[in-house]
Amino acid sequence: MQSTVIKPVLAIYTGLFLLFLYGPFAVLTILSFQAGPEGGPQFPIIEWSTYWYRHLVGLTPPSRVAPLPIYEGLLRSLTLAFMTMVVSTVLGVASAQAFRSRFKGSGLVFYLIVLGMMVPGVLVGLGMALVANFLGIDRHWWSTAFVLHVVYTLPFAFLVMLAIFNRFDASVEEAAWSLGVSPARTFRKVTFPLIFPGVLSAMLFAFTLSYDEFSRTLFASGRDLTLPLAIYGTFSIEIHPNVFAFGVLTTLFSFALLAVYAVLMGLSVRRARRFAIQEDVA
Amino acid sequence: MSEATNEGPASPAANRQRIAYWLIAPAVVWMVLFLVLPIAMMVYVSFWTQTTFTIEPTLTVKSWVTFFTSETYLAALWTTVRIWLTVLAATLLIGYPAALFVGLFVRNRTLQTALLVLCVIPFWTSFLIRVLAWRPMLGKEGAINIVLQGLGITSQPIEALLFSELSVVIGMTQIYCVFMVGPIAFTLARIDLNVIEAARDLGAGFLRIFRTIILPLSMPGVVVGSIFVSVMVLGEFATSAALSGRKVNMLGNIIVTQVGSLKWAFAAVVGVVLTVIMGIVVAGLLRIVNLRKEL
Repeated sequence: MQSTVIKPVLAIYTGLFLLFLYGPFAVLTILSFQAGPEGGPQFPIIEWSTYWYRHLVGLTPPSRVAPLPIYEGLLRSLTLAFMTMVVSTVLGVASAQAFRSRFKGSGLVFYLIVLGMMVPGVLVGLGMALVANFLGIDRHWWSTAFVLHVVYTLPFAFLVMLAIFNRFDASVEEAAWSLGVSPARTFRKVTFPLIFPGVLSAMLFAFTLSYDEFSRTLFASGRDLTLPLAIYGTFSIEIHPNVFAFGVLTTLFSFALLAVYAVLMGLSVRRARRFAIQEDVA
Repeated sequence: MSEATNEGPASPAANRQRIAYWLIAPAVVWMVLFLVLPIAMMVYVSFWTQTTFTIEPTLTVKSWVTFFTSETYLAALWTTVRIWLTVLAATLLIGYPAALFVGLFVRNRTLQTALLVLCVIPFWTSFLIRVLAWRPMLGKEGAINIVLQGLGITSQPIEALLFSELSVVIGMTQIYCVFMVGPIAFTLARIDLNVIEAARDLGAGFLRIFRTIILPLSMPGVVVGSIFVSVMVLGEFATSAALSGRKVNMLGNIIVTQVGSLKWAFAAVVGVVLTVIMGIVVAGLLRIVNLRKEL
């Protein structure tokens, strides 16, 4: 291609694009080091300090700024995300496995599952609240909100697994079957190790989507707040840089999660490669 | 594949199909109970009788009449459509060149993945905090105004940047454009470079190659990205609440307000309207591209 002109121009453009993506993030990081408790969430920085980080963990003397009500919410959100991750990954793998053989109504089922990520959260949240009211069920983050989180994350797990199975060489399974290994054992010993990278991606998707999910949770979770709902609560009052400090900390936590994912992924890819080499030798 | 029906129930094909049904059943039950049923309930409740404090299951179209005769609701409908179209166009125009670079011009797989990961990293901050971060960006003494004045481009702060429809559009564009860039970059990365090489050998210029090869081949990505962005923007309420100072009301904001004042029937009507719009948009986009073939 006419790399001499177009490529550099596009490269510069992509740089600017990344700047656009990172702008708010940079601003939020800078403002999280604002002086407290009088410094607000705006420029200029009065004085650099870690006040709002200390405020977050309760190490500052009491002031008119109330601490963020995040700790119970954090625990609930992590539990909810974990439950969602397990259930939607299991259902996603099972559904994608089903789609490997042709069955009647598969087209309809495909769109039924994909619908879960298509319908805006506020709509399913509203619908679930109406159903709960109608049946007289109490709404909780671990019941009504949980099932909606799975409705949202299951399609992602399903699509990831479908893509993995599309590139899957079924002859290894057939070899196991023809040697008399039972289907269940074949799945555990042959299929599962080979699709494990996909399963990891599905789990990562489900966990992060659920952890940050908010519009589905708003109507469906009842009294107890999850983490995003606690943050949403600050929308209606004056915001302080403690929200930004918290944003920086959660991002660091996300990176830790991503690092774990990368390590597990690397290990499983290496194992798959070793498996392939052994096959070549044999 | 032999799909003979006279082999009896024990044939491998029939057996496999039975296993497939057992495997798919939990997901289907889950989706029907927790997705289809709530939406059906919403349609049903939209016909209930709403009084100031109570709601009764006596069927009426009164809430529907209220919706279509109320200026507030119709204005929200129009705002939603307007913001959706603006954000869709903005994410496409801003995202496409970046996707073109990452997907087509960077052929080193490691660099390509690194760039895509770089695009995704901001998404590891909570959505709501990312929305809030636009306030110190756009405010009167915000980062953008400071930079613009520092460079001497403007002499006084632009106040229209925050608490306006513009701020909502800017915020949503930044938050959602990666959902456009990703799918487009993926489809572009799959283009066989030999095709482009051949076109160039035959003397086609870049614009011609772009128009006749790159753009048509990237359409599936554009459609998938448009579906993502459309669905998310149509159901939005947090960004408009936080960045417009509650001046810009989308259908989502109306639902939140109505639920807050226990007007379930009105909320359900708005919900059904939103569902219908979304259904039309997604169905229309899916007519252009077969999603299942693109995996």
